[in-house]
Amino acid sequence: MSPAARPAPRSLAEALRARDDVSLAALLRSRPDLITPVPTDLTQLATRAGTRASVLRALERLDRFALQTAEALAVAPDPTSYDTLLGLMAGDADDETVAGALPRALATLREQALVWGDDERLRLVRTARELLAPSPQHPSPTGLGPSVQEAASGMSPGRIQEIVTAAGLPSTHDSVSAATALTGLFADRKNMAELLAGAPEPAREVLSRLVWGPPYGQVTADPAAHLRWLLDRGLLLPAAPGTVVLPREVALHLREGRAHRAAEPLPPAAEPAATHSPQVVDATAAGQAYTALATVEELLKDWDEGGPAVLRSGGLSVRDLKRTAVALDVSEPVAAFWVELAYAAGLIASDGEADERYAATPGYDEWLERPAAERWAHLAQAWLAATRTPGLVGGRDAKERTLATLGPGLDRSAAPEVRHRVLALLAGLPAGAAPDPESVLARLRWERPLRGPRQGGEEDLRSRLARWTLTEAELLGVTGRGALSEHGRALLGAPAPAGSTATAPAAEPSAGSSAGASTRSATRPAGEPVGPGDKLPVHHHPRPAAVPAALSPAEQAVATAAAGRLLAPLLPEPLDHVLLQADLTAVAPGPLRRPLADLLGVLADVESKGGATVYRFTPGSVRRALDAGRTAAELHAFLTEHSRTPVPQPLAYLIDDVARKHGHLRIGAASAYVRCDDDALLNEILADKRAAGLGLRRLAPTVLAAQSDPATLLEGLRAMGCAPAAESAEGDVLIARAHAHRTPPRTAPEPVPDGPPAPDATLLTAAIRAIRAGDLAATTPRRPVGESGADSSRAPQTGGALPRTSSAETLATMQAAVLTGESLWIGYVNAEGTASQRVIAPVRVEGGFVTAYDHTADEVRTYPLHRITGVAELAED
Amino acid sequence: MEGRSGKGVPRVNGPLIVQSDKTLLLEVDHERADECRRAIAPFAELERAPEHIHTYRVTPLGLWNARAAGHDAEQVVDALVQYSRYPVPHALLVDIAETMDRYGRLTLSKHPAHGLVLSTTDRPVLEEVLKSKRIAPLVGARIDPDTVVVHPSERGQIKQTLLKLGWPAEDLAGYVDGEAHPIELLEDGWALRPYQKQAVENFWHGGSGVVVLPCGAGKTLVGAGSMAQAKSTTLILVTNTVSARQWKHELVKRTSLTEDEIGEYSGTRKEIRPVTIATYQVLTTKRKGVYPHLELFDSRDWGLIVYDEVHLLPAPVFKFTADLQARRRLGLTATLVREDGRESDVFSLIGPKRFDAPWKEIEAQGYIAPADCVEVRVNLTDSERLAYATAETEEKYRFCATTDTKRKVTEAIVRRFAGQQILVIGQYIDQLDELGEHLNAPVIKGETSNAQREKLFDAFREGEISVLVVSKVANFSIDLPEATVAVQVSGTFGSRQEEAQRLGRVLRPKADGHQAHFYSVVARDTIDQDFAAHRQRFLAEQGYAYRIVDADELLAEG
Repeated sequence: MSPAARPAPRSLAEALRARDDVSLAALLRSRPDLITPVPTDLTQLATRAGTRASVLRALERLDRFALQTAEALAVAPDPTSYDTLLGLMAGDADDETVAGALPRALATLREQALVWGDDERLRLVRTARELLAPSPQHPSPTGLGPSVQEAASGMSPGRIQEIVTAAGLPSTHDSVSAATALTGLFADRKNMAELLAGAPEPAREVLSRLVWGPPYGQVTADPAAHLRWLLDRGLLLPAAPGTVVLPREVALHLREGRAHRAAEPLPPAAEPAATHSPQVVDATAAGQAYTALATVEELLKDWDEGGPAVLRSGGLSVRDLKRTAVALDVSEPVAAFWVELAYAAGLIASDGEADERYAATPGYDEWLERPAAERWAHLAQAWLAATRTPGLVGGRDAKERTLATLGPGLDRSAAPEVRHRVLALLAGLPAGAAPDPESVLARLRWERPLRGPRQGGEEDLRSRLARWTLTEAELLGVTGRGALSEHGRALLGAPAPAGSTATAPAAEPSAGSSAGASTRSATRPAGEPVGPGDKLPVHHHPRPAAVPAALSPAEQAVATAAAGRLLAPLLPEPLDHVLLQADLTAVAPGPLRRPLADLLGVLADVESKGGATVYRFTPGSVRRALDAGRTAAELHAFLTEHSRTPVPQPLAYLIDDVARKHGHLRIGAASAYVRCDDDALLNEILADKRAAGLGLRRLAPTVLAAQSDPATLLEGLRAMGCAPAAESAEGDVLIARAHAHRTPPRTAPEPVPDGPPAPDATLLTAAIRAIRAGDLAATTPRRPVGESGADSSRAPQTGGALPRTSSAETLATMQAAVLTGESLWIGYVNAEGTASQRVIAPVRVEGGFVTAYDHTADEVRTYPLHRITGVAELAED
Repeated sequence: MEGRSGKGVPRVNGPLIVQSDKTLLLEVDHERADECRRAIAPFAELERAPEHIHTYRVTPLGLWNARAAGHDAEQVVDALVQYSRYPVPHALLVDIAETMDRYGRLTLSKHPAHGLVLSTTDRPVLEEVLKSKRIAPLVGARIDPDTVVVHPSERGQIKQTLLKLGWPAEDLAGYVDGEAHPIELLEDGWALRPYQKQAVENFWHGGSGVVVLPCGAGKTLVGAGSMAQAKSTTLILVTNTVSARQWKHELVKRTSLTEDEIGEYSGTRKEIRPVTIATYQVLTTKRKGVYPHLELFDSRDWGLIVYDEVHLLPAPVFKFTADLQARRRLGLTATLVREDGRESDVFSLIGPKRFDAPWKEIEAQGYIAPADCVEVRVNLTDSERLAYATAETEEKYRFCATTDTKRKVTEAIVRRFAGQQILVIGQYIDQLDELGEHLNAPVIKGETSNAQREKLFDAFREGEISVLVVSKVANFSIDLPEATVAVQVSGTFGSRQEEAQRLGRVLRPKADGHQAHFYSVVARDTIDQDFAAHRQRFLAEQGYAYRIVDADELLAEG
């Protein structure tokens, strides 16, 4: 691992160049924004890695200890040694935990290309330093002020000399050396202690007030004696008129060397608040999973004949949500969750018509046909990946508009990752252990301290997302009694729980390691640990990324199916019988088989839901069944067949009584009628063949109903030689038939991820090869064409410039290269006029084209010769 | 109870199903049903008890009463989890624990210096309730941050209001013993039935509360038993004078009390004795804006107050009762369904339900007669139907309830049970007069004098008269031991408790143990039928299955 064999890198680009593919892949995986688009070479990669946006992003994704390490580096000299850094992190007391965790944090920073250089000369990339270093505008999280050197830069030389003298040091020639002397004094623990021992008591109080920051204080033009004492010795330096600052070195002395009041080297463990037996957890979760299915079905049933209207601004109105909540017998936030879940799962969508409404999609009908466990798996998978966050419903967006269910503005790209992370934390606990939510939140905050800081008293987004995840997982039956269920674990693709082994999560070396994450990354080729022969300066331990990435779609599908299989036997077996009671109720002591449930749902009203369903028969409900085309005899037979007990007499009587009246009145639709007092004439019309097309039917001796409209009827009868007269259009009945309302085919909404997706192994390998090739092209020393070197202007080919050769020379060199199989360096202008350099191995030259293997693009390409600006052979190395 | 036969097989046993609306369904034929019933009874209210599945409901009030009776959330959760067939939703368990946790944050107690005080173990709760506008007038000075003085007269009011705010107060202020007076049960040749004993015990242990027993199951004896426990002066509030006489008669017969020790305080007599029986009517009489008879409550240091037919407790009595929180209160009823929905006021002011037995269970023990309930549907004639269709809305019920066909059916029923003691009960005087005429039976209605009523009742009891036509005045507390058949021709709209009371008329156990018959004559396809369905609901939920027969069938048979 020692970099001694190589010269120390002089820039980030050089440091990157020295890294092997595996370590580069790790960088690109954790900072995927660096390869969109793929940079042409490592210099460009290094530049991009130093841009403010990218660094900010990378810093946001650091865990608390890595961030604290970066902060410490930002207040340390540049470059700094590992020992200095350790001193800042562990303090004079030499905290062993910190010392143990520091290499890991440093490795993370190096892997992410935030720090480079060997252990003697650690450098934080400049952008990160600017972002993290303390300045009056941006106080550092460390609470440290500027160094003596920085603070003294604006002071008059005379004043500095006074201070140096007062501090008991010999005077120097210039301000710079004076400041250095002062720094040396402040950094010397022993001398400093002596100096401070002489400080008056109030002065020490002032120091203790400023030591943990903010380091700035106000002074009047005529400071009190104890302040003067401090100012005179440089223990406080003026920062601005009326403001003084505690120099960094003094603060560090007072803090016993620590950059942070409390270094947090270890992630807080998610503490189990309660432990249930895994069976209870699984059973509870399965029960809830079943409820989830029932609720979604009920929601869709409620919307079956056309759901609520889509607001003009998108989404569901508050009133419709309220109504839905009442219909589902849940609170409004929970109703919003179910609606959003159905939406994310592609079961509902807007129908896209002029008066836009929500309706079930054709996908819903397919979903309905699948077994219960698969239905659940479908919902769970949609939930895991969704970026929509129903928890936000009812809140307001930046423009103070209320966020509506199904409306815009509910996508939070962090949601899937947080969801995954929370569940992974649960998976890290022993089976049946339900964590204390606060400890989960604390853990998440440790992992991403910079992400979404608290704003105005409200909890940060990640914490809120985590809370919602815990409630939603419970609602969906992923967890039971707060603990991750067996099928929930399978959903994550995690293996069987730690169980009795009970490895304390805190003891694990890595921040984000969890059972799920480590096994998954081990299956990735790119994530395989490098061998012991690794010659890289980057410590690359076989450890997963800080946060486990979500499974790939294919992996997720496998995991989901596995979860479904685990769940299936836990779901209650549908029953085929009910208990009928004389108070006109029926109790289904469990879920019912679908055809039975459907008919019973028509024949009786649901009174109570849960493990069982209580139905009540009313005249209205029986009428509904008769309306649906059932006869009384069928209903009797149905009840007799499915009742465990004899059908009570009042119920049988009720059905007969309603059936007796049912259909007594008949209603139909007709477009026109023919009325005539002479029924013989009507007989004649009915018998006439020419009237066949008019759709005539006799309702009464003197009335015919027609399906054709009055105008057609009038014409038809006239054609038959009658002389009909039109009547005013009253009594025309139209019955609209209800039918299920569906949208056109719809796909479920795509999750909106934050930034580019994490690249997979293939892409990474390709990207790295491309960058390396580009880098090769940009950095390889080249030999000028023409061994003679006659043309001196070409002879010293400098790194960046495109080679320029005449077309004859180009052609000759190409042909020679085809024969020798050598690679060439060419300048090339593409069809858009963009010039680039490429390294190619020509295969064939003919018809004004050269076919060559392009190292830069890693494929065989054909180039028109006239676009090649010049050619040079690669220098031999 | 992790009774799983193997991995992946859900356990499908346990007699209880927990529903999401917090009802509990108990399968009565299950082998562990009785065990389960005992476990859930302390906190869940029996709502319906039809033949196969009984429905219990978990309410905050029930949970708090369970807390008051010394049960904790863990026991409740255990009972649910242990007997439940399916996993109990976690949210529901959490909700139960949270609800029960609200009880006892506030306590009412006696302070040596300040009298009645409300104190708290959780200061924010006290702050919250004191902010309520409804609490402010009931409390006095703040003694310390956790304690506030309560006006002694507002003890009931503040308990009721706190209950409505969701922070029920634990009442530790205790009861006054009242003026002692020796009362003993004279158990010569009879004894309290086991369930009556249980009811007395539960009531006495709980301090105050309501006992629910079916009509004819001997509620008066529960009252007498409680008086014998209290051994103090007692005020008994009953619905009417006839009922008052009955109480007096029963008490003289069953206890050591003599006629002279029992006073009647009614419209006609104003006696105040160690045991005083007063009617609700006299208490609620208002003259010039004041209740002149309220002094009755203060006229003696009552140790026990018994409310008969507590479901009929008139609204003003609620108010008076609120002032009587320091005295033991016993409510008696057959059906705690109030059509005005003030059941919760009964619970908060008189006390929680201390004893409740399903009707069918008492019937199975042989203490009430089995009853055959029949609904007879009569058809309106064509002309009646037309008239009904055009009748004014408020006249409709009267019209269909008094159809002529009902008379014919009633006559047929009376003929069929000739020789048995038959009651014909109705709402409309005209209808009853006409029926009395046709059946050749005396009619008792509002204008009948009390003397005349008692005479007729006695005659009926002696068997001198076998058919009696009564209006709703006879709904309550008359004791007609040998009525075996009741025919209801009309009623007070959809009143469930009236139906239950009327059925109660025939449920007293018969000497020869034979079945009682209850006929309800209903006009088909009218609101009479709708009301009947509503009226029957309570009894149907108690397991009384109504057979429905067509009038034509019945007429053809008889």
